[in-house]
Amino acid sequence: MSAYPAISLNPLVREIPVTARPDMRVPVRVYTDDLLWQQIVSDRSLEQAVNVATLPGVTGCVYAMPDVHEGYGFPVGGVAAMETDDGVISPGGVGYDINCGVRLLASDLELSAARPQLEAVVHELSRSIPSGPGRNPQLDLAAADLDRVLDEGCAFLLERGLALPEDLPNTEAGGRLPAARSACVSAKAKQRGHNQLGTIGSGNHFVEVQIVDQVLDPVAAAAYGLRQGQLTVLIHTGSRGLGHQVCTDYVRQMDQAMARYGIHLPDRQLACVPFASPEGEAYFGAMCAAANFAWANRQAITSSVRRAFARAYGATGRLKLVYDVAHNIAKVEEHGGARLCVHRKGATRAFGPSHPETPATYRTVGQPVFIPGSMGTASYVLAGNDAAMTLSFGSTCHGAGRAMSRGEAKRTRPGHEVRRELESRGIIVRCPSNSELAEEAPTAYKDVERVVDVVHRAGLARKVARLKPLGVVKG
Amino acid sequence: MTATRLLPSHELRQHTSEIELHIRAGTLGDLLAEAGRALGEVQLTSANCAPGGPARPIRVSSSDRAALLVDWLNELIFLADIDRWVAMDFSIDLVEETEVRARASGVTLQRAPSRVKAATFHGLRIEDVSGGLEANIILDV
Repeated sequence: MSAYPAISLNPLVREIPVTARPDMRVPVRVYTDDLLWQQIVSDRSLEQAVNVATLPGVTGCVYAMPDVHEGYGFPVGGVAAMETDDGVISPGGVGYDINCGVRLLASDLELSAARPQLEAVVHELSRSIPSGPGRNPQLDLAAADLDRVLDEGCAFLLERGLALPEDLPNTEAGGRLPAARSACVSAKAKQRGHNQLGTIGSGNHFVEVQIVDQVLDPVAAAAYGLRQGQLTVLIHTGSRGLGHQVCTDYVRQMDQAMARYGIHLPDRQLACVPFASPEGEAYFGAMCAAANFAWANRQAITSSVRRAFARAYGATGRLKLVYDVAHNIAKVEEHGGARLCVHRKGATRAFGPSHPETPATYRTVGQPVFIPGSMGTASYVLAGNDAAMTLSFGSTCHGAGRAMSRGEAKRTRPGHEVRRELESRGIIVRCPSNSELAEEAPTAYKDVERVVDVVHRAGLARKVARLKPLGVVKG
Repeated sequence: MTATRLLPSHELRQHTSEIELHIRAGTLGDLLAEAGRALGEVQLTSANCAPGGPARPIRVSSSDRAALLVDWLNELIFLADIDRWVAMDFSIDLVEETEVRARASGVTLQRAPSRVKAATFHGLRIEDVSGGLEANIILDV
């Protein structure tokens, strides 16, 4: 039960008014239905959203998506925009895995043609793309090259032949935030990241081979190059240890600097400083650099996936990048004529057709958004709506959201049972450990169908296609 | 009457997407050492690891003792990620509210432990209790 009074504005939006706590500066709006609301109030995510609503310079509303759950400081599934002239920036509002995100690749293959080699392809993906703590000796970068990845993002990989020219326009921000400053990334972060490009990592990260199971918006699907029965590949990972270290470094720095700016917080993990301060500018530069690293990471994985598909299917295995979008990031954007720093933590940018940052090829339908389901469940392709600009600073949900601890998931369902169940549904699974498989069991997550249904009905984004897993390489 | 000094102990509590360490000890030095042991327990998947090799010096300074606990664990997480080395035994040479100098022996693994990504300030608590100190710290996993 929420400790704060919530008013139903309509069946899909509840608001905690600004009067709910004396230190709130803006209200909190939650996109949800009745059932998800029961899950949301069962943890501290609303209290965390209220804490965010107290931060200096926060404007409009703090938004919670239907997949919101408790995070560190900020809730996961939260959106908060701060004035850039007198507001703050907070590493906790981005999260540890800076630019964790999703990219979708579309093939020309139908399942019937791909099926005979599918198991070999999934095996090759698991062999060639390091997961867990695995490093990538093929891309062990010298210091100068790592700095170029941090400053230039995917453009560096294009130069190295690991990207196609047409990949960059179909990556959020072209795969490069120009505000990136490699000099603001610590030596420790660089030590953690120099050999992690092209690796999945662990937790809920994955590379998944899928089939377009249902087309729900034929016009948008056609614009994205998607059709029923087509094979796709979804990549979900982020900035690896490098991003974690950037967050750790700057939470520490800001924790020490806050007193100088007279900032007092209900939770130290909300550590923040003015956006327009030396510490704020340094974090923004480092965060953008880590975001560039994450886009380059997903691009390097794309290159490995393309090689595996080309080996198995020849020219018919060509993979087009549909789009790549972040769900843990802070970006400077124009909203209502104001220049704001929009923090999206476990929330996805969802710009509509008329936004200038929507790629030209998708200008008729809106920016693609990918919502990965939990392992073995469906994922969704959505399209951004113009209305989302006023409803949520142009944002939508990011996934199913955890509903169970990893320990509880393991106690509820042993890993070998999870593996057997996935295999009985024809899903090829590559995960070295049954224990890790159990941690990511579908039962440990909220229902992605319900989450997506809420954002669709609320007008934050609309359903375009449903993707069903065929093979999973788990991080 | 003087309270009996707390023996170092820890408890791991699982939450939705994190692990909470609850640590008790008689002194700040013992608390940090116990937190390090608890972290090692989370990082090591096999119970058959024994510390070996020369002890490594570890030095951390922070703004206050709660931040010192966070920074101490983050230093150990960094060493585990970079060197595949998990600290298990600790000898505290100097400890103040804002600084610790220690030597640690541990085990070098074939692969870096990927489970713990960071120690956080979220829900961080460290307080004086009868006989010593008690702390709660949440690990990002």
